[in-house]
Amino acid sequence: MKDIYILGIESSCDETSCSIVKNGREELATVISSQIDIHKNYGGVVPEIASRQHVKNITMVIEECLEQAKMKMTDIDAIAVTYGPGLIGSLLIGLEAAKTLAYIYDKPLVPVHHIAGHIYANNLVKEMHFPLLSLVISGGHTELVYMRDHLNFEKLGGTLDDAVGECYDKVARVVGIPYPGGPQIDKLAHIGKVNYKLPSPLNDDSYNFSFSGLKSAVINLNHNEEQKGHSLNKEDLAASFQKVVVDTLCKRVEKAISEKEIKYFVTAGGVAANSDIRSALAQICDENHIEYSFPSIKYCTDNAAMIASAGYYYYINGRTATLDINAQSSVDLY
Amino acid sequence: MNYLYLDTTSSFLYAGIVRDDSLLAEKKEYLGKDLSTKALSFIAEMMASVHLKPNDIDKIILVNGPGSFTGCRIGITIAKVYAWTLNIPITVISSLEAMALIDDEYDYHVPVIDARRDYVYAGIYDLENNPILKNQYIKKSVLETAVENMSDCYVYITNDDIVLNGDVKKYDPNILMIVSKFRDKECVNPHSIDADYLKLTEAEEKLNGSIS
Repeated sequence: MKDIYILGIESSCDETSCSIVKNGREELATVISSQIDIHKNYGGVVPEIASRQHVKNITMVIEECLEQAKMKMTDIDAIAVTYGPGLIGSLLIGLEAAKTLAYIYDKPLVPVHHIAGHIYANNLVKEMHFPLLSLVISGGHTELVYMRDHLNFEKLGGTLDDAVGECYDKVARVVGIPYPGGPQIDKLAHIGKVNYKLPSPLNDDSYNFSFSGLKSAVINLNHNEEQKGHSLNKEDLAASFQKVVVDTLCKRVEKAISEKEIKYFVTAGGVAANSDIRSALAQICDENHIEYSFPSIKYCTDNAAMIASAGYYYYINGRTATLDINAQSSVDLY
Repeated sequence: MNYLYLDTTSSFLYAGIVRDDSLLAEKKEYLGKDLSTKALSFIAEMMASVHLKPNDIDKIILVNGPGSFTGCRIGITIAKVYAWTLNIPITVISSLEAMALIDDEYDYHVPVIDARRDYVYAGIYDLENNPILKNQYIKKSVLETAVENMSDCYVYITNDDIVLNGDVKKYDPNILMIVSKFRDKECVNPHSIDADYLKLTEAEEKLNGSIS
């Protein structure tokens, strides 16, 4: 069978990325231009600044990727691109670049859902098999997705308010840790003890998540301590907060495992790099004899390799688009 | 020589193909919010209408702002990817410079783009298209005073729904004239092309302390 090379482009938030993946699983080259140092100055991603940076970076990122892979555009079979969800101004740059390349080289254009991309990051580590349960946890998303086969997505539940990564960053800000605070909270959690009592979010029987109550509880706790002239013990707060997050995520995963036929479990997204979350999920899978994979750290955050991997399956299933496809800030996974 | 002209800095798509001294094809479409979905399709359609393939273009003349932030970025992304990947020479011009290039009897041309909150992007150009007041983000009333103090024979050129003190002409680009004027302008590296926003983002202004 002929090898299929997909060039992927990702620009849904603050990373401009291009990757070339062979047959959906073999990464030949990936280039990521991160804007994190710019957005740090503002305490979070500023959409207009992100869009401006994408325009500056886009051609250099694609060129470097082709050079690293030692390939030309004519060697590429199809162009996969994130069309949503994400920041609309950011999405438009990657999408317009992909459309232009598709037009110039008369190549199929393959629109890829960002969450599908995150799930397929795992496919670059280990071949995914089905039925599969996926927990997508990032700064913009918290979703539990069930898949009976490739591209067969059933969203079991999602966050009703803040994404888990967003909650991490906000809690970090409360205790004076600069953006992005998630990785730092994870480090501090290993030093501290669970000494603060924080509420368990959304204690119901659904697959949904809610993190705004937990975030407010941390803000209130900090406020109360300040009024008493005390300051929060950052390490203990991190440990207490992370314990609640881990328990909340695990509870929904365990519920899905008990109710669905699941052979394989994957996690995805920036928060999937969190060590406590990984070990707790691994333990659940081991106890339930479910095979699992976690993306390597480089595939947890936004990257185009995951888009090219998912794009391969969309492409071989004939799911291509015309030049008039639009970016969508919010769109269901299908 | 085939020249591709592209301007998506407003709600309109202005695109054209000029071969030597004649206009082969043009698209002047109000696209508004559909700019992102339709701009490239219209360009492809225009190219096909004159039986040109993407690599039949010898030079791209791109308008890189100021104007709608998103609009600027759409055209710039298309043009820089096009120029980079096919190694086609590309030059950039200002939207205000293009707007100032009209054929009439006024001494001064004042292209104006609405920047909201009583501000505009504007410049003042003489009959030879030389800038008299450089392109800038300026309070509308300040611009009007500057123009009135300079001459009695001026015209504003705009596509926006703004009230201006003086004669106003609707912008309808003469693509052949614009391309003829700028086709020999120095080319730039496609990677280096960026929008000329003429204005920082609000977050940058706040960080710099220029607004509170």
